[in-house]
Amino acid sequence: MSGGSRVNRIRAIAQKEVFHILRDPQILVFALGMPVALILLFGYAVSFDVEHIPLAVVDQDHSSESRALVAAFTAQDLFELVAERETAEAVEPLLRRNVARAALIIPQGYSRDVHRGETATAQLLLDGADNMSASIALGYANSIALAQSLGRARVQLGGFEMPVEARVRTLFNPRLESSVVLVPGLMVIVLVLVAVMLTALTVAREYERGSMEQLFATPVGRLEIILGKLAPYFALGLVQVLLVLVTGVVLFDVPVNGSLALLFLIASVFLLAMLMQGLVISVVTRNQMIASQVAAISTLLPAMLLSGFVFPVDNMPPVLQGIAHVLPAKYFVDGLRGVLLRGNGLDVVWLDLLAMGAFFAVMLVVATKRFQRRVA
Amino acid sequence: MKLKRPTALAAVMLKEIRQTARDKRVLAVLLVAPVFQLIVLGYAVNLDVNHVPTVVADEDRTAESRALVAGLVAGDTFDLSEQVERASDALAEVAAGRAAVAVVVPHGYARDRAAGRPVQIQGLTDGSDSNRAIVSQNALMAYATQRSLGDVRAQLARVSAARGVAVTLGGTVVEPRVFYNPTLTSSHYFVPGVAATLLLIVTIIVTAMGLAREKEVGTLEQVLVTPIQPLTLVLGKTIPYGVIGLMDLALVVTAAMVLFDVPLRGDLPTLFTGGALYLLSVLGIGLFVSAVAKTQQQAFMVAMLFVMPAILLSGFITPIANMPEWLQPLTAFNPVRHFVEVMRAVMLKGASFGDLLPQLAALAGMGLSIFGLAVLKLSRKLA
Repeated sequence: MSGGSRVNRIRAIAQKEVFHILRDPQILVFALGMPVALILLFGYAVSFDVEHIPLAVVDQDHSSESRALVAAFTAQDLFELVAERETAEAVEPLLRRNVARAALIIPQGYSRDVHRGETATAQLLLDGADNMSASIALGYANSIALAQSLGRARVQLGGFEMPVEARVRTLFNPRLESSVVLVPGLMVIVLVLVAVMLTALTVAREYERGSMEQLFATPVGRLEIILGKLAPYFALGLVQVLLVLVTGVVLFDVPVNGSLALLFLIASVFLLAMLMQGLVISVVTRNQMIASQVAAISTLLPAMLLSGFVFPVDNMPPVLQGIAHVLPAKYFVDGLRGVLLRGNGLDVVWLDLLAMGAFFAVMLVVATKRFQRRVA
Repeated sequence: MKLKRPTALAAVMLKEIRQTARDKRVLAVLLVAPVFQLIVLGYAVNLDVNHVPTVVADEDRTAESRALVAGLVAGDTFDLSEQVERASDALAEVAAGRAAVAVVVPHGYARDRAAGRPVQIQGLTDGSDSNRAIVSQNALMAYATQRSLGDVRAQLARVSAARGVAVTLGGTVVEPRVFYNPTLTSSHYFVPGVAATLLLIVTIIVTAMGLAREKEVGTLEQVLVTPIQPLTLVLGKTIPYGVIGLMDLALVVTAAMVLFDVPLRGDLPTLFTGGALYLLSVLGIGLFVSAVAKTQQQAFMVAMLFVMPAILLSGFITPIANMPEWLQPLTAFNPVRHFVEVMRAVMLKGASFGDLLPQLAALAGMGLSIFGLAVLKLSRKLA
């Protein structure tokens, strides 16, 4: 077997796969339209900032002090007044029916307590079903109350400066835009969708239709089939990386602080690992429906949940953390954010590259082994 | 179009059930996978920010500054990852991703505080995780305010002593009362939503790929030459998956209650009414997909093209109120949004059928029209 003919055979298999893709333009539409659609959705729709919390107010004190407190709550964009009621009982249905997420209850005697210099208590009823919004709302409410207290202390003491102040500054993403963080994370989902999902189905399809036997009857070797099948999807994946990157930079001002070459190196290693995993799924299941579900569970789910893309890995129970540290998704998001946002070089991201490379190697071995045994 | 032979419908359904049950792996995908996914998701979806790796540069190195740092890392929010000498070293730690927050206590901290001069501690956060950055910034500022309040009280006491009258803060306090989820457990909020999305993924892919598979393998022609009506065929192939969907709903609700202690405060009939109406929409969309798709690969992709945006715009992960104004009304046409609301309201808030009338009506409207249109379109196409 000469080297030249091996390259030719791989090219032939790759060409066959390219024909498959081109004959079915829906795949191309999907592969290139999906990234753009997702990036627009994530960029515009997904925001973790909690603002405009619908607030119901029960003011039983009817004093200038109680009105000042209500005004302080609604002055910023944090709370939005949606209803006023006379009793605490009347606001509970509002919470249950999602009309309000929080209710401020100022009891009678609030202004009296303020004038006496005693602690004046207002109640905040929170819809804890949405625990994140609830704890953020409580944080806002506490700081509003604190500002009211300090304002009065300031009057009493004739003005003062806060003795200890924390000056905070954000590095790498100074305006704290979630889109800047989500776009690199999004790349993992886009690549997984196409790389694993499509390869998992494409090889399973050959088994289902019986054309895999025909392929094996040709003089093409196993490794050649694998490489030829994966090459077009690898190229498609790189086009997607470019597409997501350009859209992110143009529409959402995602900074590119590190080197582009390193970025594409990280993306390539991740792509290879994912393509190989897709192939393993395909070879093992040999059924498109099962392959798609297995791929969804073993790649799409980890990409969305165990990659640190949205949910911090550090908070997870040890078992899940262990899984997250084996799969490549976490390393990809880590490395990508490092290069894009923090401007990290190879000295920082080499570990991510190594981890993804190791996963690829294991998958390659499994794929070639299983390929042989099942067909022979 | 009228259904002429109910026995034919039963026969098609029976064939579909047999075919599904014969392949143990398909059955596993339909019944075991959702529960497995719920478990993984339930433990993973947690947006609480705790144990943020923090690097501290204490440039003051006094007893006071050490007390300040000790108080900061005593809570759950900040974990001391390293202590360095200079602010620039702390910055380097954050840049390399080894710490997410750098706290710098400036030189002269103890001296200035003793003299009553205001001091500033610096907090530098890694914005490449914006959620964590926001939470840790707020926690740091709250910590500084808390330290300040001690000083303010001391000042007030001094002023009181000097003036001979009691000058007190008269502070406003907000006392929280948390309804429905008093411990503010993340999983109680997310798990009902997860259940809704799992139901979507499993059933839509099965219906979308099922018919495409018969097209691909060529068995669809064989069925079409039999006297079975297209309508019978479509219904017979869909109804079993609707039943499986309801079984999945029962399974994931049970798993949510047993594994994650999610309460079930409302009634099951309301929950399952919502579930059945939701499945109508989902199966209808699956049928639409199978009408356009020629291969399973296409069916899968087109289904995903619907699933991803539907999940993102359902309020499952991020609240709809945070979405742009123009986008919010569009989510009213998303069945996933309404079912996520039904699941949460019934399980956590004990909402009744009457409370959820708007959501149930929306689900019924969408379900009946989508399913009806899909069945009609597909039967016409097959006829």
